[in-house]
Amino acid sequence: MTDTRSDILQGTLDLMVLQTLEAMGPLHGYGIARRIEQISEDALQLNQGTIYAALLRLQQRRWISAAWGTSDNNRKAKFYAITKSGRRQLGAQARNWERIAGVMMRVLKLAER
Amino acid sequence: MPVWLAVAWSRLRALVAARRLDDDFDREVSAHMEMLVDHHLRRGLPPDAARRAAALEFGGAMQIKERQHDRRGLPFVETTLQDIRYGLRALRRNPAYSVVAIATLAVGIGAGTAVFSVASAVLLRPLPYQDPARLVRVFETNPLRNWSRNIASPANYADWRRRNTVFTDMAAYEQFNSLGSGASEIFLTGQGEPQGLKSLGVTGNLFSVLGTPPLVGRTFTDEETFDGKARVVILTYGLWQSAFAGDPGVVGRSITLSGRTYDVVGVMPRDFFFPGRDVHLFVPVAYQPSVFVRNRRPHYLGVIARLKAGVGLERAQQEMNAIAGSLEKEHPDTNTKMGVRLERFHDSLAYTPRPALLMLSGAVGVLFLIVCANIANLQLGRATARVRELAIRQALGAGRRRLVRQLVTESLILSLAGGALGFALAIFARAAVQQLAASAIPLFAEIRLDRPVMLFCVGLSLLAPLFFGVLPALLSSKPERLNERGEVASRDTRFLRGTLIAAEVALSIVLVVGAVLFGRSFVQLQAVDPGFDQNRVITFELSLPAARYPNSADRLRAFEEIERRLREQPGVQSAGAVSTLALRGYTWTGDATIEGRSTNTDWERELRHKSVTPGYFKTMNIRLIAGRLFVDGDRIDQPRVTVVNEALAQRYFRGEDPIGKRLKFARPQDNDAWVTVVGVVANEKQDGLDHAPAPQAYSAIRQRMQNPLTYVVRSTLDDASVAALARREVQAVDRDLALTSVAPMRNVVSESMGDHRFRTVLVGAFAGVALLLAALGIYGVLAYFVSQRARELGIRLALGARPQAVFTMVVGQGMRPVAVGAALGLAAALALTSVVRSLLFGVDPVDPGTYAAASVTLAIVALAACAIPAIRATRVDPLVALRDE
Repeated sequence: MTDTRSDILQGTLDLMVLQTLEAMGPLHGYGIARRIEQISEDALQLNQGTIYAALLRLQQRRWISAAWGTSDNNRKAKFYAITKSGRRQLGAQARNWERIAGVMMRVLKLAER
Repeated sequence: MPVWLAVAWSRLRALVAARRLDDDFDREVSAHMEMLVDHHLRRGLPPDAARRAAALEFGGAMQIKERQHDRRGLPFVETTLQDIRYGLRALRRNPAYSVVAIATLAVGIGAGTAVFSVASAVLLRPLPYQDPARLVRVFETNPLRNWSRNIASPANYADWRRRNTVFTDMAAYEQFNSLGSGASEIFLTGQGEPQGLKSLGVTGNLFSVLGTPPLVGRTFTDEETFDGKARVVILTYGLWQSAFAGDPGVVGRSITLSGRTYDVVGVMPRDFFFPGRDVHLFVPVAYQPSVFVRNRRPHYLGVIARLKAGVGLERAQQEMNAIAGSLEKEHPDTNTKMGVRLERFHDSLAYTPRPALLMLSGAVGVLFLIVCANIANLQLGRATARVRELAIRQALGAGRRRLVRQLVTESLILSLAGGALGFALAIFARAAVQQLAASAIPLFAEIRLDRPVMLFCVGLSLLAPLFFGVLPALLSSKPERLNERGEVASRDTRFLRGTLIAAEVALSIVLVVGAVLFGRSFVQLQAVDPGFDQNRVITFELSLPAARYPNSADRLRAFEEIERRLREQPGVQSAGAVSTLALRGYTWTGDATIEGRSTNTDWERELRHKSVTPGYFKTMNIRLIAGRLFVDGDRIDQPRVTVVNEALAQRYFRGEDPIGKRLKFARPQDNDAWVTVVGVVANEKQDGLDHAPAPQAYSAIRQRMQNPLTYVVRSTLDDASVAALARREVQAVDRDLALTSVAPMRNVVSESMGDHRFRTVLVGAFAGVALLLAALGIYGVLAYFVSQRARELGIRLALGARPQAVFTMVVGQGMRPVAVGAALGLAAALALTSVVRSLLFGVDPVDPGTYAAASVTLAIVALAACAIPAIRATRVDPLVALRDE
C-alpha cells in the first residue's frame, strides 16, 4: 500500500463520513476530514477537498443534512448531520462491510498458510 | 422517497439554483481553508507557509469547485440550456439571417407536412374497420373486354361466396363503375324540404365482413338482403345527427325515401364510412334471390371479403383462380376469359391517386433538400463571418466538440422554429389543400393534421439540421481555420458552397422540368375540345321514385313536362336531358351487334350507350355531322333509330355511309330489334378530357327510357337564377321531387381535371420556391465573393480593366456551379421522366422543348441572381477598397 489516497473506494469514504457524523454529531467539512485522518492514525492522507464529493453524494441521497452554523472558534461553517435514513444506511453498510471484511480476513489467512 | 428520485430531484433543484449553490460552496471552501490555516498557524508555521500548507492539504480548490458544480446538477442539460441561450442571442444579433432561414425552413417543412397530410390520409391511415389489413377487394378481370379491375355480376359474386374456403365471408355493394362508390340519389321527404341523399345498396353481411357493429339498433338480416322486398335502412352517424338530431328513437320509425317508406333499423358509429364519406344511408341490395343465380351478364357489384386468419393473399388468389376457372367452364357464354383479381381493400381505394401522391411526395422531398442546401449555404457564409467569434471562444477553452455542439444547437433552434411555423402554415393551407385535392383524392380520405402528421413535422424539423447544420459546423470549427487571421474563406468552404449551389440548381431543375411537363400537360388538357360547349349550361340530376312513377309512360310524361316547362322560361334558350352526363366518371356499356360485322363469337361487348331527349344535342351544341338528330316523332311505336358518334362510325363503317346501317343492343343470337343509324354527331368526351373518345350510341328517350336523367339547361341567366327556376318548375310538377348534383357544366368539366390541376399547382409552386431559393443561394455566394475580393477588383479597375470584363468575370464565377448543376439536373430529370409518364397528357416526357424551357428559365433566374453582385463589382471604388484594409 503505497498510495493510500487513490486507494480509497468511493463507498468507503461515504461510510467513513456517515460513521464519523454518527459518532461525533453535527460537524463541518474540515472537522470531518480531520477526524478521519486522526482515526486512521494518518494512514489515510486525504486531499481534504475530496471530502466534499462524498458530502454532496450523501446529501443528494438525503442520508445527511446540512446547515450553516458557528464553529468552536466562532467561525461561520456549514455543519453536516446524519439523518434517520442515513442511520439506517449506515447500519446496513456497516454490516455489509463487516461481512466482506470477515470473508477477506479468512481468505487472506488461508493464503498465508 | 426512493434514492434515485431523491438524487434526481436534488440535481434538478441544483440546476435552478446553480448560482446560489456555487456561492454557498465558495463560502464553505473559504471557511475550510481558514480553519486549515488556523491549524497550521497553531503548529507554529509563519502565515505564508501556513497558507501554502493549507492549500496543499486541501487540493486544487478551483478544480474541486468545478467538479462539485457538475456533480451537483445536470451538466448536460446545463450546457444545452447555455447553448440555447447563446444560440438565441446569436440569432437575435443577426435578425435578417434568422428570419430568412426560419422562413425558408417553414416553407420546406410546411410543404412537406401538407403533402404528407394528404398522403397519410389516403395511403397510411388505417381504415376504420376491424383488422382492416384482412379486407380484400375482389374484381373481375377479362382480357376480352380490357378489364383488369372490374365490378362483378351478382351470380359470379354468389358463386364466389358459396365456393371459396379462404374468406370468412364475402359481401357486395352496388357499384356502377369502377371509380365512384355507386351510391344512388334518393330523397328523404317528410323532414322539411325534400333532401337529396346518397344511398348505397349493400348485402346484409357487409357490416359483419367489415367487423363494425351498429351504434344503435341492428344491421340487415340475410332475408332482408335476398328476398327483394325489405324496406329497411341504416343511417350513417352524420345523417342521424343532421336529419334526426341524434335521436335514438328513430330506430324502429318509418321514414319516406323517394316516395317509399323504409323502417330505420340501425345507426352506424361516428367514424364509420363505406366506401366513401359521401354515402348517407345503406339499404339492402334487395334483389330477388333469382338475380344471384341467373344474372351473370350485368356487372354492378363491388365485392369485398375478409381473409380467414392464417390465409395469405396469394393462397386466396390461387383458390379464386380455380373457382373462376370452373365458372368459365360452366358458363362459357358469359364467363369466357373471366378471371378474378384480389387486392387489399385499402390498396384498391388508393389505387388511382397513388402514383400522383408518390410523385408529389418525391417532389416535396426534393424541395426539402433544396431548402436544406440553401440554409447550409447561408450557414457557411455566416460561419466565415463568425471566424473571429469562434476563435475567441476556442481561445477561452472551448473544445471543437463544444463549438460543434453550439453550432448544431443553433441549427436546431432555427429548424424547430421553422417547423413550428411550417406546421402553422400547414394548418392554414389545410382547407385549400383539401379543396384542391378534392377531386384528386378518393372520397374516403379526410385530410387531418393528426398525431402522425405532427410527428412527421417534428421529425422533419429534427432531420433538417442533419442536412444543413452538421457539415458547416464541422467545417467552420476546424482548428486550423480558426487560427487563420483573416476572414478569407478556406478552400474547402468555397468548394462546399459551390457544390451546394450545384446541388440546389440540379434539384431545382428537376422540379422545374416537372412543373413544365405538368403545366404543358394541363394546358393541353384545357385545349381539348370536349365535343360540346360547356358555357352557360346548368346541369342537375333528377330521379323519379318508382313508387310514384311505376311505368315508363308515367316517367316519360313527367320528364317531358319538366323539360317543356324549363324551355319556356324567359332567358332559357334550350333544355334537354341525358341518362349519363359526360365527364362524371360514369357510363353505361353493354353488348352490341353491328349488322354485317359482328359474328356469333365476336361482338361488341362494351359499347357505350345513353338515352337523350331531342333537346340534348342542341343544348350541348354537339355538332351534327351526317344524317339527322332525334325528333319528337321517334316514339316507341315507330321504327327504332339511333344516333352514333364519329368514333363509332369510324370504327365500324370506315369508308362507308353509316346512315341506314343497323345494329342491336344485344348479342348476335339474341332476338332484340334492329336499330337504324339515322345520324352521326361529333365525339363528346365521356370518361375524361384525357381519354380518347370511345364509340358511343345514343337512343331517343321515347324509345329507350332511363331513370334518373340529368337535365342540361342553356340560358342567358346567371347560374343561381337558373338553379332556382329549375327547382321551382320541378316542384311545380311534383312537390316531392328534389334536384341533386346541381352544377354549371363548366364546373363539371373543370372538376374532371381536378387531379391534373392538383399536381400541376403543387409541383408548379414547389418549382417556383425552388427557383427562388436557388437564386437566393447563388446571390449569397456571389455577393460574398465580390465583397471578399473588393480590393483585387478595385485594383484591376484602377489599372484599367474594362467594367464589362469584370462583370463577365464575376458572372462567370457565379455561373460555373450553375452550369454543372444544370447539367446534372437535366440528366436526373431525364432519368426520372419514366416515373411521371403515366401522369402526363399529350406531352412527351422527353420532348427537348421542355428541357430547353426549364434550362432557359433557370438560366434567367441564375443570371439575374449573378447580375446584382456583378454590377456592384464593376462599381468598386479602388480607393475605398484600399482604405478598407
